[in-house]
Amino acid sequence: MPDYLFVRGAKRWLFVIALCFLAGNIVHAQFGLVSREEALASAFPGAAVTSERIFLTDAQVDQIEELSRADVDSKLYARYIARRNGEVIGRAYVDTHQVRTKKESLVVSLHADGRVRRIDVTVFLEPPDYIAGPSWMAQFYGRPLDRDLAIQRVIRPIAGATITANTVTLAVRRVMALDQVLRIGAGEITP
Amino acid sequence: MSDLLMKQIKFVLAFGIAVAWVSSNTVSAQVLNSFVERAKAQGGPLASVQAEAVTDADATEEETEEPQDDNGDLARRIDLLAEELERLRSGEDGRELSDDDAQARGLAPSAAAVYRANRGLSIAGYGEFLYENYAKTKQNGSAGKGDTFDALRAIVYTGYRFSDKFILNTEIEIEHAKEANLEFAYVDYAATENFGVRGGLVLVPMGLVNEFHEPTVFMGTERPFTENKIIPSTWRENGAGIYGAWDKVSFRLYAVNGFDGAKFSSEGLRGGRQKGSKAKAENFAYTGRLDITPTPGVFFGGSFYSGGSAQGSLGSGKDLGTTIVDFHGQAQVRGFDVRGLWANANIDDAVAFNVKNNLTGSKGLAEKMEGGYVMFGYNLLSQTSDIGGPAFTPYVKFERVDTQAKMPVGYSRSLSTLNNWRTIGFEFKPMPNVVVKVDYMKNTNDANSGLDQFNVALGYGF
Repeated sequence: MPDYLFVRGAKRWLFVIALCFLAGNIVHAQFGLVSREEALASAFPGAAVTSERIFLTDAQVDQIEELSRADVDSKLYARYIARRNGEVIGRAYVDTHQVRTKKESLVVSLHADGRVRRIDVTVFLEPPDYIAGPSWMAQFYGRPLDRDLAIQRVIRPIAGATITANTVTLAVRRVMALDQVLRIGAGEITP
Repeated sequence: MSDLLMKQIKFVLAFGIAVAWVSSNTVSAQVLNSFVERAKAQGGPLASVQAEAVTDADATEEETEEPQDDNGDLARRIDLLAEELERLRSGEDGRELSDDDAQARGLAPSAAAVYRANRGLSIAGYGEFLYENYAKTKQNGSAGKGDTFDALRAIVYTGYRFSDKFILNTEIEIEHAKEANLEFAYVDYAATENFGVRGGLVLVPMGLVNEFHEPTVFMGTERPFTENKIIPSTWRENGAGIYGAWDKVSFRLYAVNGFDGAKFSSEGLRGGRQKGSKAKAENFAYTGRLDITPTPGVFFGGSFYSGGSAQGSLGSGKDLGTTIVDFHGQAQVRGFDVRGLWANANIDDAVAFNVKNNLTGSKGLAEKMEGGYVMFGYNLLSQTSDIGGPAFTPYVKFERVDTQAKMPVGYSRSLSTLNNWRTIGFEFKPMPNVVVKVDYMKNTNDANSGLDQFNVALGYGF
């Protein structure tokens, strides 16, 4: 292959770069960080959403850790309940955790029965190269909380971002367990 | 338990959390109040959400310290505090103070820094230790070589987020327990979530290992030879370029200083790396990669490098043009791990190089090099171990590298530059951050100078 092929093709490369930049802006809304409001609007379009803060007890923390196999670092959670025509169609929780040394916050939205409806990233302070994309997140959608909801089982890893994949998986498990424990406490479901 | 008692407990709990947070961040109570006032002014964080909002716009610090008979008002205050704390903990930038805000509040930069949760230093690292036990004899019965035990690499990664747009990434390496190297150091300008500009000492974006070279990521005690001799990882050069990542497609495209080709050899391109140290820049090169992830856990793509490597050493019109292309892929599904790569390097002006360096016969630099490998692993514990539990992955690797795939007219091939390696081993990860690897590598070539080796490695990453 001749040397400087790419110098001679500079105009072509500039065109490719411009296309990439354009594409980046077009798909901007579909990938990367969103606000909490955007996440809720995407998960529950047209629904009325109310918010509340959850204060967990020690016993609830133990139950969540047992169910999720993930540590619970905070007893304070934000919960959002979505209703349509007065009927609960789902709930969402904000889970904040550390990836390597920096924070990530996820809005994990659930169906009314507790299965994952949608996951959005609102904060990711590690280098952007390590963020999990929507296709990867979609592996969780519709899944119940069971032993198979784990990396190298139904959840595939992210090449080069193993820690992100593990952290997100644990966060989703934690939120699903939290939802289950709260619903058991409210008498909506039985253990 | 009565509702009143529950509300009082919640209030005490919320107040306690607030005090702990304020104490841990050495922020005055006045600053906390400024947040509360700001939240009131904004009317709550979710305009579309039917959240309870603070209705008492005249609430003061003095009032919050007085016992309240109104349980509804108490509940609202608890909820407001809890919401503030949860938002602060989340790291969402809605509560970040701008410099103007900080100045308006009379905060010096250091005092305001506590609110800049999105900024600051991050630290990570990895390291590996490698024991190599060589066979006593080579294929042809001649003497092997002495065993070694090396503190191969210890790396500290530091990053600094100057703002949401400007991010610094650096990696400082101590190799063989004594050689300090700058592995990379670059500044990113993140124009959008998907697209950015990068400049500094960058990793050449080729192959599977060069950019992801942590021992907990690549399989095998040693990096593949293809990604040592043809894609000389860890390969970094000074340069700048662009990068982008979307859901299923990512790319990088850089211009970097070219190799210093004077250090090429019949064994490969590795000696030509300039590593950012007073790099000769008479010749530049372009390099880039494109990866596609059709489904989670599976990706494939290609990368290239093209540019001159003579750096003026071969005279006018002789740039020792070097072009490398690779195709790679990886699949990690249900505990299975399959990886493969093929790389090819073409070198112009090899004759001029050989003449200048008095290289004759089979000692000359080749016009073409190529190599590749495929490896398979399976985590035997993937379907049974606890979440985040141990992993035990036996693997095999087949690799072939030829650093004299095509010689210039008048030169001959060495029988020892086409090597095959067959590797069998396992890696054990008691947790995702720590790995112990053991493998046996059988090496053969047409000169019968192949040397087998048994390796044990310990690696970590955080």
